[in-house]
Amino acid sequence: MLSIRELKKKLSEKKISVSELFDEFYKKAKDSQLNSFNYLIDPEKNKHLINESQLRYNNKKEELLDGIPLGIKDLFCTKGIPTTASSKILENFIPQYESFVTASLLNDGAIFLGKNNCDEFAMGSSNETSFFGPVINPWKDSNKTNENLVPGGSSGGSASAVAEGICVASIGTDTGGSIRQPASLCGVVGLKPTFGSCSRWGVVAFASSLDQAGPITNSVEDAAFILNSISGYDKNDSTSSDHKRDNYLENIDKKFDNKITVGIPSDYLKDVNSDIAEQIDLAKKHLAKLNINVIDVEFTTTEYALSTYYILAPAEASSNLARYDGIRYGYRAQGETLDDIYINTRTEGFGEEVTRRILIGTYVLSAGYYDAYYRKAQKVRRLIKEDFQRIYRDVDFILTPTAPNEAFKVGEKLDPITMYMNDIFTVPTSLAGLPAISIPSGLSKNNLPLGIQLIGNYFQEQSLIQLASLLEKELKFND
Amino acid sequence: MTDINIKKVSYLAKLKLNDEKATKYEKSLSEIINWVDNLKKLDTEGTKPLHNITEKNTNLREDTVKKNNSTEEILSNAPEKAQNFFRVPKVVE
Repeated sequence: MLSIRELKKKLSEKKISVSELFDEFYKKAKDSQLNSFNYLIDPEKNKHLINESQLRYNNKKEELLDGIPLGIKDLFCTKGIPTTASSKILENFIPQYESFVTASLLNDGAIFLGKNNCDEFAMGSSNETSFFGPVINPWKDSNKTNENLVPGGSSGGSASAVAEGICVASIGTDTGGSIRQPASLCGVVGLKPTFGSCSRWGVVAFASSLDQAGPITNSVEDAAFILNSISGYDKNDSTSSDHKRDNYLENIDKKFDNKITVGIPSDYLKDVNSDIAEQIDLAKKHLAKLNINVIDVEFTTTEYALSTYYILAPAEASSNLARYDGIRYGYRAQGETLDDIYINTRTEGFGEEVTRRILIGTYVLSAGYYDAYYRKAQKVRRLIKEDFQRIYRDVDFILTPTAPNEAFKVGEKLDPITMYMNDIFTVPTSLAGLPAISIPSGLSKNNLPLGIQLIGNYFQEQSLIQLASLLEKELKFND
Repeated sequence: MTDINIKKVSYLAKLKLNDEKATKYEKSLSEIINWVDNLKKLDTEGTKPLHNITEKNTNLREDTVKKNNSTEEILSNAPEKAQNFFRVPKVVE
């Protein structure tokens, strides 16, 4: 796979035209059998964007992502282009405005191929909760090549499409691991920026104190290209941060000037299988080669993170999803009274997992349970944040596995709690709001990709990307 | 053990569960609530709840009137409309 930098070079040297590049990817996306796109944009609709991009190349005035074909998770509002959140309740929804993130990408010359499949309302870790059916992982278990594997979730369509090579990169969202876990299961790079870096304006809301957009790419450098485009202050998102953004490409090929320390939490590795343990050992060896200090650290709150998350995220979701009532947009079921319309619309419009999360959220917020669950979880969230702050007094970065397992069979994990355990290593970072990146590190015994997660301190994406890039070059996953 | 009244919870969420689904979700919710109950082991006496990770005051902006959408655009996604309005069943007697 050519990188964004290489593609831009070919485009500027006229070795390929913007239109040829777009057609090449569009054809691959159209022919793909993995269900990673909910919707492909009619090439006619993109024609003027392609022509304008070509003109900028002709005039040597190309933008950051000029002419680069991208996939967009079907959770971002795209003006005039269907946006469904992979839900029946939004099946026919066509936004009348553009999300901040997609507007930034368009402004930088990117061209969208279409909308990537995902778990319904981003609730899932296998992309099996989508109203439009499961996405298939392009990777196969070497012993069971006829079995379809999940790509992870919720940004499963994004990760599968990037891994299959039918889009250069895709934009996902991450609430409890939804960028990093599918990246790990599909052997690609996934970056979740610090909460507040990328505006949530125009992103279909799941859990507003956790939701964050980020890139899924073939390389760390590509992720830096995308982050340079989408990170920015937006007055329309009340939690958007107004800190000065770095150039995330700046230090990408440099070694660190000063000695840095990476902490590996021993409590994360207690119950991992040998495949996963091997990835951490491997990363440790490469860090030593890079003259980076590695120390053991230990969290005291890890075992409480999933519980905290599965109270707070459903609570916020139940509140956010109250807006789907069948009146102003989306699916409407018939009913004699207004209340009947609300109830029938929601009962028919939401899928099984979304219904479950709304019910959990409603329960933990209801009178008599609010203090015992919701408020308690918010207090524990503070302890989790403080636990990270304590560890960061001794280290610059934290290294963990991204997910506890390789890609699993479609239909294999039916029990919700078993599914929720997939996010055991990604959820703590989400609760703390820290930036984290998953990079592919190696293969399991079944020849399936596995990833490692690097976690940085608040708004330290530039050095996080620098470290990830150094490690990526050592691990040589793509060679 | 939990005491989830699934019919009441679904009523609050404006969702209708038939008996089969009510049984299924009640079991599922009980399992999940029991699973998250380990938080009770943690002493949070004196810990303040964390609502927003940055804990900065919410950024407020001037509420200025701008013309962003036309009536036509706003109504374009309406499942049912009449003239310039969303259409719903009669709500007053």
